[in-house]
Amino acid sequence: MSYAYLFKYIIIGDTGVGKSCLLLQFTDKRFQPVHDLTIGVEFGARMITIDSKQIKLQIWDTAGQEAFRSITRSYYRGAAGALLVYDITRRETFNHLTTWLDDARQHSNSNMVIMLIGNKSDLESRREVKKEEGEAFAREHGLVFMETSAKTAANVEEAFINTAKEIYEKIQEGVFDINNEANGIKIGPQHSPTNPSLPGATGSSGSQGGGCC
Amino acid sequence: MAQTMYSKIDEYGFERPANFDYEVHAEFMGKYMHILVRRAQRWSTLKGKNKFTRSSKLKRFIRKGIPLDFRASVWLQVSGAQKLKEDSVWNYSDLKKKITNPSLIDIIKIDLPRTFPDNINFIGQEQLTGQMFNVLAAFAHQNSEVGYCQGLNYITGMLLLATRNEEASFWLLKVLVEKILPKYSVTNMSGLLIDLDVLDDLVRKLDVDIHKHIHKIGMPWAMVTTKWFICLFTEVLPTETVFRIWDCIFYEGSKIIFRVGLTLIKLHKAEILRTKELSELITCFKEMRNHKDIIDCHQFMIHIFQIPGRITDSDLKNLRTKYSKAQNQR
Ligand SMILES: Nc1nc2c(ncn2[C@@H]2O[C@H](COP(=O)(O)OP(=O)(O)O)[C@@H](O)[C@H]2O)c(=O)[nH]1
Ligand SMILES: [Mg+2]
Repeated sequence: MSYAYLFKYIIIGDTGVGKSCLLLQFTDKRFQPVHDLTIGVEFGARMITIDSKQIKLQIWDTAGQEAFRSITRSYYRGAAGALLVYDITRRETFNHLTTWLDDARQHSNSNMVIMLIGNKSDLESRREVKKEEGEAFAREHGLVFMETSAKTAANVEEAFINTAKEIYEKIQEGVFDINNEANGIKIGPQHSPTNPSLPGATGSSGSQGGGCC
Repeated sequence: MAQTMYSKIDEYGFERPANFDYEVHAEFMGKYMHILVRRAQRWSTLKGKNKFTRSSKLKRFIRKGIPLDFRASVWLQVSGAQKLKEDSVWNYSDLKKKITNPSLIDIIKIDLPRTFPDNINFIGQEQLTGQMFNVLAAFAHQNSEVGYCQGLNYITGMLLLATRNEEASFWLLKVLVEKILPKYSVTNMSGLLIDLDVLDDLVRKLDVDIHKHIHKIGMPWAMVTTKWFICLFTEVLPTETVFRIWDCIFYEGSKIIFRVGLTLIKLHKAEILRTKELSELITCFKEMRNHKDIIDCHQFMIHIFQIPGRITDSDLKNLRTKYSKAQNQR
């Protein structure tokens, strides 16, 4: 399937907060409570529509453990959007947000849209972080915020799609240089005037539909 | 093993992948059964107290596969794990009593259900899961530089499946992480970053076309080979193939990882060159386990000593030095 734009995303946050489950819920519309943990990075993709344009999301799901940061850091570069995830039932994952944010800001392009996500909203009885705290953190750092559940799928579509909308708006405003692939945005093959085959670490020219590969 | 030929679960309790080729597997097993019987006979001729002492004969034997019954003892002997244990001033059961760090306990516990959720010996099974916790927590306790690093859970799980012995698994984990492998699991995975550069260098020397194609598509090696180094091919290749590879790693060291990696890449030259974009290339790497020559682990183990050509310990050492300098300059 052809697309007008391709946006690259990265999902970051402490280990066990539900990053891989969120990705699976978004690409495959299912929740798999027991599955393998992520070593290094995994990859998923799905097509969405914004403003009646087809947009392909290419999503990198990363290992959250500290040691893997030297590997996962290189994926910040060339990402247009980031989902920064914490677990509302584990306060320490919320406490680590500043470290994640510093790391992301330092290694990404300055226009990267960051969405803050408090995941596992279905576990209300085990909640350790109030929704207001997430909102306050987001406000303070200029992020978009949402609570999600990868289990019930609540807000999962919205999280990925609203991020894309923000990126799309920035493109319309001319904030993003879409000719520079380092920004994590690519114009679809038949949409670009010269159809350049660009070299570098993002040389994907997607022709297949959604779904995880 | 014969009765598991058509089973959905392999000899070690792992569910086979959805696209598993039962026909190719059955054909291979028909052949492999005879090899296993023959190898068991040959191993039974090794006699005496020093039968598992390192020697060129034993090395040759190991390359052809260690019989299941001997695997734990041979790994312990040839890797130096046994010596580590004998020379140690503390013993494993005392060490276990010292596991108290609550954040460490938490972080390991999060990963227990996420380790081998497709293996009937682990999922919902308290015995092996409990042993895995003990080994990982004890290891982390006595090595605070590494602590618990994801990936060690997979290695420990495989050690438990191979040895069915908690203490042996602990010493084997220790010898792997502290003596055999470079610093893959420490804070910033410096050893891994270096070895990814070394791999790139070796691929270029082995096959320029493949190297060019991978760079043209722009795939960082870390994307598809992190598990090769961190998990030693667990979850990447069929279980029997993984154990045959580990037989050689315990004797010959981390060089074997490159031999295996290069062989995987070379055997898939046509498929790799056919890919046009990143996601196709990643899929190609993910499906390597289904290749006929890889399911036939016996043939594969012959390939790994032929296809990559000569790689000596000193070659590898020089490359690592070269790229560790390059890393420091970044
Ligand atoms: N109840 C609940 N559990 C979740 C949710 N998301 C993930 N989990 C569980 O949290 C654990 C870790 O999830 P995972 O996606 O592997 O975390 P990651 O390390 O961030 O990728 C898994 O065992 C999931 O079952 C959620 O929204 N609700
Ligand atoms: Mg994950």
